[in-house]
Amino acid sequence: MYIIGNLSIYLALILSVYAFASLFLGIKKQDQRLIDSGRGATLAIFILASISMLLMFILLGTSQFQFEYVYQYTSSDLPLLYKLSALWAGNAGSLLLWTFFLTMYAAMVGYSKKMVRNPMTPYIIAIMTLNTIFFYLILAFVTKPFMLLDGVPPEGRGLNPMLQDPGMILHPVAIYLGYVGLVVPFAFAIASLILKNMDSFWVKMTRRWTIIAWVFLTLGNVIGGYWAYTELGWGGYWAWDPVENASFMPWLTVTAYLHSVMIQERKNMLKIWNLSLIILSYALTLFGTFLVRSGVLTSVHAFGESNLGAYFLIFMAFMVILAMYVLMSRYHLIKKDTGQFESFLSKESSFLINNLILLGGTFAVFWGTVFPLVSEAVRGTKVTVGIPFFNTVMSPILLALLFIMAVCPLIAWQRSSMKNIRDNFLIPAIISLVIAGLLVFMGIRDAYPVIAWSIIAFMVLTHITEFIRGTSARRKVTKEPVPVAFYNLIIRSRRRYGGYIVHLGIAIMAVGIVGANFDLERLETMEIGDSVEIGGYTVTYENLAQRSEGVNDIVYANMRVERDGRDLGIMQPERMFYLNWEEPSTNVAVRSTLRDDLYIVLSAWEEDQRATFQFKVNPLVKWVWIGTYVLVIGAVFAVWKGRYGNVTPRYAGPQRKVY
Amino acid sequence: MPDRKGRYIDMVKKIFAIMLLAVLAGMPAFAAEMYDYNSAEFKDNASQFMCMCGCGQDHFECNMDGCGLNDSFKTEILEMMNDGMTQDEIKNHYTGMYGEVILTAPEKKGFSLTAWITPFAALGAAGAGVTLLVRRWVNKSRLNTDHFEDSEPKDKESELEEEILKAMVDEERKKYY
Repeated sequence: MYIIGNLSIYLALILSVYAFASLFLGIKKQDQRLIDSGRGATLAIFILASISMLLMFILLGTSQFQFEYVYQYTSSDLPLLYKLSALWAGNAGSLLLWTFFLTMYAAMVGYSKKMVRNPMTPYIIAIMTLNTIFFYLILAFVTKPFMLLDGVPPEGRGLNPMLQDPGMILHPVAIYLGYVGLVVPFAFAIASLILKNMDSFWVKMTRRWTIIAWVFLTLGNVIGGYWAYTELGWGGYWAWDPVENASFMPWLTVTAYLHSVMIQERKNMLKIWNLSLIILSYALTLFGTFLVRSGVLTSVHAFGESNLGAYFLIFMAFMVILAMYVLMSRYHLIKKDTGQFESFLSKESSFLINNLILLGGTFAVFWGTVFPLVSEAVRGTKVTVGIPFFNTVMSPILLALLFIMAVCPLIAWQRSSMKNIRDNFLIPAIISLVIAGLLVFMGIRDAYPVIAWSIIAFMVLTHITEFIRGTSARRKVTKEPVPVAFYNLIIRSRRRYGGYIVHLGIAIMAVGIVGANFDLERLETMEIGDSVEIGGYTVTYENLAQRSEGVNDIVYANMRVERDGRDLGIMQPERMFYLNWEEPSTNVAVRSTLRDDLYIVLSAWEEDQRATFQFKVNPLVKWVWIGTYVLVIGAVFAVWKGRYGNVTPRYAGPQRKVY
Repeated sequence: MPDRKGRYIDMVKKIFAIMLLAVLAGMPAFAAEMYDYNSAEFKDNASQFMCMCGCGQDHFECNMDGCGLNDSFKTEILEMMNDGMTQDEIKNHYTGMYGEVILTAPEKKGFSLTAWITPFAALGAAGAGVTLLVRRWVNKSRLNTDHFEDSEPKDKESELEEEILKAMVDEERKKYY
């Protein structure tokens, strides 16, 4: 196993170097045999990466504690699922997973039917292989997954209890699929520049790749938030931690890119901007990894201090300089044949404002994340930049973003008029103002929630208007009945209406996020039979009990919950004590409804069964999770192939002898 | 007249004395107001300090198992509040002891103010830049397009109808070619 594991890593490294050299020479000498050999090598690398992954899964699943990684992150009592998910619990395993995805994507692009006989393919695989070389260098020389210990320990150190959660099985995988997915549009963009192909072919070819990467990034962030909410016991799902920010920044820039490419596709404009955005998004994925693996900033998610971050920083600098050099050397070509911008009042302008806000948000998050380092460097004083800073700075920016999301769909391309805008927005605006009035009438006096919910209502209404307008326009042309016209409208324009469904998902999530302004909480030490009233709930402490789960012990409290005199059943907040881990973990009891979540944490207890609980009522949290489902449905709808409009873009750039 | 004036002054003095007594009598009751962990004021106080146990939370929210700091910190804050210290005094006490790093957000003064201002300054500058750029593009477009004056602003509905018609034509064309 040790020999096969290490062989799979070293052989893959050698093959990666070979693949890059072969592709490079093949392009230089215009020799198809070298190109085919390099392409074959990428497939072989993928097979080797699969072998490494399989081996690691076997080692983890069968508790081979003579391997350092298995010893460090598992124990024999761990359920099989968590033994396997320990693959991404540490540096070496998680980088192996990253490498596996990278080699898989490189093989998929290399053997894509859509890229057959396309001269861009060797360039794309070569750029992706550069990334593969870097990751295999790390796996071979810096953080080795298949290291043996001197002896065979009888037991492993176990997996951190906080990682023993379904959320932690999915969160890292989704984040990595998102991060690695961005390598594909980056490679296409750079290949396009090298080949001096200045049309939108690369944009069209990578649309699905980018949206899928974006969806995985979204899912990764939300699943991480869900895990934090149910596992960490502080009642929130987003703490603006440096590592959370690291995965939020590329999400913002890719969102900006997905909008601005529409201008390029339609008007052949913003080519430099879109190239810069994809380079920035790719660089931010490496920057995020640098933050997680370097320990330069304090984070609850960090892998611990190591010198890995420095390697990522060097690689990021190398790739960014390379990309910027290629971009600048083609600058004069990109500027040619640019389309025209006809009016301030146009969809193009609204997309530009959208990009401005998204990039402004990215900068604000970046600035807040690195400010502790800036402060220390400039005046030698350490500062903390936490939730109050980000909430204060990001709230107006995200509100402006929601507003522009509301306005954008109803503005025409090229040139709109004030009359059109008035006609389109009057009714949604009036209804939103009525909603604002109702909120104030209901007793909500804080300005932010009232403004935010009114803007969200405005956004939902403009999107509904857009669906209605589209259906009626189709009926005008085809005379179809309303349901048929609606179905045909959205099915024939998946990209647009899928995008609108994504917007509606964001609106639903935003409703839930704004709800956090009305959180209630109490900390109470209670005797058996005591009751607490919070947010309309009456919670009675019935008893404290203990049970065993495998080798672990669980202390739990039975809490009877009532609302308006109605018995809602028993909730059981728990504390879990592990045989193989020093610290116990908190299992929060959550009763979730559309209106609010009742959230109970068992904090401490005494011998006489007095116990201290943290009670929270968090309004509208469920909307955040529901919004995510809607968002994913919208994104899948947008990229689903279907019968209509499914045209493979035609390559019209410079031809080469090799492909 | 002077007598009336004198009586009036006496009356004012008495009222003032009664009011003063009432205020002084009420003082101990006011000072005796006790805060607890569920007081809004306690939350305001505790949530301005970062817990240093590695949980990434402020002292109000920290619920970390094995956090050796939070309980004593909360008790200390509560004691200070019940001793009559204001939020600013408590803040100064801890920043004097640990430095600015104890606060959950940079202070809005001195160099730390740049943390708050820079994002909006950058956004404003970028916004101005984009506005100028779009103005240049629009002007250039006007110069390049002679018939621009004649072109009508686009109606959203007619744009949609055009798109639907174009898509239908494309579909039909695909059937035959």
